[in-house]
Amino acid sequence: MEYVTPEGLRTDGRRPRELRKLGCQLGTLESADGSATCEMGFTKVLAAVFGPRDTAGKLHPDRAVVRCQVATAPFSAGERRRRGKRGPLATEQAATIRETLAENIHLELLPRTQIDLYFHVLQADGGILSTCLNAGMLALADAGIPLKDLVGSCTVGYLESTPLLDLNYIEESGGGPLLPMAYQPNMDKILMLQMDKGKLPVETFEVLATLATEGCRAVTGQIRQSLMNHTKQLAVARGSV
Amino acid sequence: MALLVESTETADWLSLCHAGLSAAGASHLGAPTFVCVGDAIEIDPAQGFLRGHGTHVDPNGALRASVCGVLQRINKLVVVRPLKSRYIAETGDVVVGRVTSIAGRRWKVDLHTRQRAELSLAAVILPGGIQRRRTAEDELNMRGVFKEGDLISAEVQAVRGDGSVNLHTRSARYGLLGEGQALRVVPNLIRRQRAHSHELGELGVSLILGCNGMVWVAPVGGGEGEDEAARRRGNACRVANAVRALGRLCLPIFLGTVMGVVGISVEGGVAVREMGGQAFLERVVEWEAGRRKEMDVD
Amino acid sequence: MWQKNAYLKKTRQGNVVKVVREHYLRDDISSGTPLDPQCSPSDAKLSADARHYLVVDTNVVLKATDFLEHSSIDDVIVPSIVLQEAKSRNLSAYHRIRALAADPQRRFYVFANENHRDTYVKQKDGELINDRNDRAIRAVVSWYKQLLGDKMQVILLSGDRENRRLAREECGAEACSVQEYARMRTDDKELLDLAAHWGQQEFDEDDESEGKSKKRRRIYEDHRPLSSLTQGIKNGTLHQGVLNVSRYCWHEGFVPSSIGQEIRIEGVSRMNRAMAGDVVVVEIVPDNVASRSGSRPGAADGPDADEEDDGYDVGDETTGLEASAVHGVDDAICLQGPQDDDSSTKPPSGQVVGIIKRAWRTRGYCGTIMPPRDGKDFVPGRARWVRFRPKDRRFPHMMMRTAQADQLLGKNIVAVVEEWQSHRRLPDCRYVRTIGTVGDTEAETDVLLMENDIATSPFTPEVLACLPPLPWDVGPADVADPHRRDLRHLCVCSVDPPGCKDIDDALHVRLLPNGNYELGVHIADVTHFVKPETALDTEAAQRGTTVYLVQRRIDMLPKALTEDICSLRGNVDRLAFSVLWEATLEGDVLHDKTTFTKSIIRSRAALTYEEAQTRIDDDRLTDDVSMSLKALARFGQILRKRRMEKGALELASPEVKLSIDTESLNPTDIGLSQVRLANKMVEEMMLLANSTVAEKILSRFPSSACLRRHPAAPRSKYEPLLKALEPHGVSLDVTSNKRLAETLDGAVLPGDPFFNTIVRMMATRCMNEAQYFGAAQYSRSEYYHFGLAMDLYTHFTSPIRRYADCLVHRFLAASMDQEVLPASAHDVDTVKGVTDNLNVRHRNAQFAGRASVTLFTLIYFKQKGTVTEAARVVGLRKKSVIVFVPKYGIEGMVGRILSGGEEAAKWDYVMNKSGNGVVSQSGKRSLKVFDSVTVRIEVKTTQGYEEEVIMSLVDEDAAQSADADMDTADAMDET
Repeated sequence: MEYVTPEGLRTDGRRPRELRKLGCQLGTLESADGSATCEMGFTKVLAAVFGPRDTAGKLHPDRAVVRCQVATAPFSAGERRRRGKRGPLATEQAATIRETLAENIHLELLPRTQIDLYFHVLQADGGILSTCLNAGMLALADAGIPLKDLVGSCTVGYLESTPLLDLNYIEESGGGPLLPMAYQPNMDKILMLQMDKGKLPVETFEVLATLATEGCRAVTGQIRQSLMNHTKQLAVARGSV
Repeated sequence: MALLVESTETADWLSLCHAGLSAAGASHLGAPTFVCVGDAIEIDPAQGFLRGHGTHVDPNGALRASVCGVLQRINKLVVVRPLKSRYIAETGDVVVGRVTSIAGRRWKVDLHTRQRAELSLAAVILPGGIQRRRTAEDELNMRGVFKEGDLISAEVQAVRGDGSVNLHTRSARYGLLGEGQALRVVPNLIRRQRAHSHELGELGVSLILGCNGMVWVAPVGGGEGEDEAARRRGNACRVANAVRALGRLCLPIFLGTVMGVVGISVEGGVAVREMGGQAFLERVVEWEAGRRKEMDVD
Repeated sequence: MWQKNAYLKKTRQGNVVKVVREHYLRDDISSGTPLDPQCSPSDAKLSADARHYLVVDTNVVLKATDFLEHSSIDDVIVPSIVLQEAKSRNLSAYHRIRALAADPQRRFYVFANENHRDTYVKQKDGELINDRNDRAIRAVVSWYKQLLGDKMQVILLSGDRENRRLAREECGAEACSVQEYARMRTDDKELLDLAAHWGQQEFDEDDESEGKSKKRRRIYEDHRPLSSLTQGIKNGTLHQGVLNVSRYCWHEGFVPSSIGQEIRIEGVSRMNRAMAGDVVVVEIVPDNVASRSGSRPGAADGPDADEEDDGYDVGDETTGLEASAVHGVDDAICLQGPQDDDSSTKPPSGQVVGIIKRAWRTRGYCGTIMPPRDGKDFVPGRARWVRFRPKDRRFPHMMMRTAQADQLLGKNIVAVVEEWQSHRRLPDCRYVRTIGTVGDTEAETDVLLMENDIATSPFTPEVLACLPPLPWDVGPADVADPHRRDLRHLCVCSVDPPGCKDIDDALHVRLLPNGNYELGVHIADVTHFVKPETALDTEAAQRGTTVYLVQRRIDMLPKALTEDICSLRGNVDRLAFSVLWEATLEGDVLHDKTTFTKSIIRSRAALTYEEAQTRIDDDRLTDDVSMSLKALARFGQILRKRRMEKGALELASPEVKLSIDTESLNPTDIGLSQVRLANKMVEEMMLLANSTVAEKILSRFPSSACLRRHPAAPRSKYEPLLKALEPHGVSLDVTSNKRLAETLDGAVLPGDPFFNTIVRMMATRCMNEAQYFGAAQYSRSEYYHFGLAMDLYTHFTSPIRRYADCLVHRFLAASMDQEVLPASAHDVDTVKGVTDNLNVRHRNAQFAGRASVTLFTLIYFKQKGTVTEAARVVGLRKKSVIVFVPKYGIEGMVGRILSGGEEAAKWDYVMNKSGNGVVSQSGKRSLKVFDSVTVRIEVKTTQGYEEEVIMSLVDEDAAQSADADMDTADAMDET
């Protein structure tokens, strides 16, 4: 299986340092306080935010409590499979997303409330964690929840001695290490960096981390643009502000 | 350098609306400043600033926006107002909510706010109408007044320090809501005005625009037969759909716009159930553009 | 710019799955030609002043890979869709095209048409994939044509007629088939040859799937599917093993199996397309089932004519009985039992039902092509099928298609096996290169080196950089080295064959004050210069051993080391690794006094065996060296006697010695080499050194030490020999090596001096090979060396010419804590890999050496002419015998019996009923193993252009019987 041809093209025609088509839509779920759909290539995730709100559950007196749930639709991959919300993968993903996004929220401004994040993976083609994070970021911004910064996320990998940005499902199955990263551009801070499946020498790791940062930066640029567009449109629709 | 491919597909009502209004040249905004989350806000270091809602100071000391919205400077106060957020109660707001539970002389009401909303026993008009002390018996009979699941309209009496809301229904305008429809729209679309409850006598519809984004539409008027009742119900639906249409297009919702939309629907002979369709919504956009132009002229 | 590719696919489980993929189109894909202003110089692979640019279609890449690889084909654009299709159909063709594209000397450009915005073609509804791909290729042609306009001609090269037509019509571009193009290229005639490969017809894409299937007739049974094979192995009905093939007949062999006995495979159909070395799966066949195309008269190595069905348009040659070339000493005994003997110890017969892994050599097989049967010459330029005969008789003939048959005749060529389908009688092969003319000594030497996978390329500069600069001498640093003892005062001398320049061992002996003797063996300190993990070490490890051919030597280490720096030449100081023993006058070695040390020595004399023997024998000589030699000879005898008592075997491997005229390199004499006392003396000292060192390194490295073992052979291997000895009343006891040695000594026939030698020789062949191994591979009891009767043995004494000895030197130095072994030396798998390689290299070097001797034997007999000589029968086959000529030490198969008359058939021999002799057809003569015969030796040109040494039995009685017949006939006439 050749992941990068000698001409420098990947299986889908991209070059190693290119991101896939990125699409962001806000307000896709009317019943939620904030919602967004993010598409990276064919991976599509719908994020919905409910809150901050009061619930019967445990609330913290000083800050908001964030809960997160990730559900993968059975039709999201090539073969129909019920994966459910409780599987180990879903639990781990939900925990990672929750920690990352919660880190970005001004929780201390919202005491005794709860923020619920629901993610639905509608199409899965690699980079699910990153797409969830991006969708979550957009949904939180859509809900008007105070945030510390933008968060952009993308995944890098290393196959056939080439760093690859934004891997699709085929490339993720290639067996090389995967590094999803979440990054705050204005504060220049890496919020989350994970490595799955594999070992890397330190120099390669540094190269990959740099590439991931660049990729996240590009993603945040797109996120910011989407948010600004949406805000302007809302403003226009509302008339006198 | 990382490179990305932009997605060029958007198909939602908002962009439709935006397109329509912009095309018609009715998108005057008075050049406000939009900021996005994390954007740095310029401040004059000599002057200093007062940090308002929607902003925060980052570890380096720079002032940044916490939400996406419009930047407002009032003297030294720097505020970023989001265009969509959960309802934040203020004293005097008329709200519509649903009773969720009863505990210890209070009804807990769900207003879709961030914080808890409560209606204490002392704050309602007791059946009988007289002012008296609330007894233990009253407490046991709370369910007789409002029970779980009831929809009520109330006014915000106070917002406490920790953010929780106290409501009261000490007026004939407020209280239990009966036959009718409750809708939810984005709270920011509903402006704070003098009057929130409207009686549309001609149509036979009463309309309450709750500041928390809950809207109540009900047919009123005595029964003069089945037809009349049916007409009123039809009108109630029409009004409700008008509110829905405005909500979908993210247009401001107040009596004027609602009546306008109802008007064009009647003029255009649009059936109630078609009021959610694309054709009608486009017409709403047109109408709104026209209305704004007139306002400009005015 | 962004496309969606959705298609349905069937998974392995049989489900149907919809696969959706992204497909990005780009605008930064270069055209690869400098004629395009937008193409950057670094991307421009194509030339600006080419004749034309070629765009190739998939069928050309798959079928005409050789054509594209030809050096005069350049400036080729390969669309990426073509590469993708090639990859899925034929991986090797894909790799070859990739290699062409990557080669900086060739101008092949891979154009990513699938991702280029302008050349991407979307599949229409209902359009077949193949048609869509053809359209894509045509899109490439159009695009290039549009880009280049008049500046360059663009031609589509395709084997698909339809594609060419559409290209001409739709794109207005030129399109031609491979042959049309070859004809166009009048500047290079060779292209026409290569293109002629596909005959007159075009090939259409559909041809391969159907079409010819009706004409095919299955000759061999299809191999069973893998699942049924594994099933069979699991439940014991089938057996898996490596196929060993008889040296004389490619369709006779055996597979060692888990049931203990070997399973014999006899006959072409039972062999079922398996070749020597393949891992096969066999099924046992009951004996009463006759083999289909078993052994027919005259079918010793192949089926006959009537190959029209197979699509070969050349008639086949009846190969006749192959009285094959003379071989040197070999280790495959060739006594065969008859088919219908119902002895219970006869091994079972089987047939091959599947092949797990092919052992086809990627480097190819050397051989020659055979001339046409009809006796006419090959027509130059006309493509035809020819028969390729590999030099190694264990492989079958192969069919090769070529247009240069006339030029290849009489040459040694290399061919690579392509495939062997069930409807073809013989495998298909492909020509790779020519080595040289048949009969040319150098070419023949190259052939035998290639056959034995021996590298002959000179040492690379990196390797030579590891050597110390010449002239080299023992320096003060070496003298000051605390690990090194200065033994230059000792009277050391060396004894080697004449003309030996790489002297790696030297001996000394002296009397100690306490009345005992100090014996010393000094070995060249090679590892002082060959350090681990250097280029020199890697190259030496790969070569494994020095290869000794008759006329030259292929060294494991560079000459500077072997002949000068390491070689323990006379009267120069040299570095050595010494083993010193203390022994009593009676020859008892005091093992606790044994020392090992690195040393500096100065050899007083570098003698030949003859010189040493002379000095030992001459009582008048009393100088130090001669006295040492006498003492050493005495100790040597004592040690030898002790070894024989333990059961060491004295095996006769008559080494054929050739005297070569140094100028012309022509052999002037052949004979068996003589073994003198001096040889045995040196041998004993070396054996002592080796075993002492083995003990030392094993004690310190019990799991990674490199040792040498010789496993005893099971009785079954001796069976044929024992059976052959019965009629002569001689028996061997093979229960232990001591008993075997004793009975071998007793295997004498009065009045027959050579009998014993031959018996020893044949006994040697029954035995297993000795092998190197890492200590962890076997248990302690398996370390035993059968032939030497030693519990523990290794190779220490020849590091100049054997890599194993270098390893042992390092182990020894490490056990003395003077060196640190690299971590890889302790890793069991690495050690196994190294020892396995050494065993292979050792074997190959032996084969190469013997083949070289065979070659020169041929030259010798060519010069000498026909010779008649006495011989002994050493083997029986169904229709022939194998004889050994003691005078020359050569061995070969004898076919027909020439009696000087036309009616030779009357004298053909067949195996007798009990299987231990052959009887002539007339019944008058019979031969058994060990019988004396007379043979005529001559060099003949057989099978076209090959020369071979042929031996034929001379039948003295024939003349007499012929007269007798005539008398009888006369007598009958009269009555």
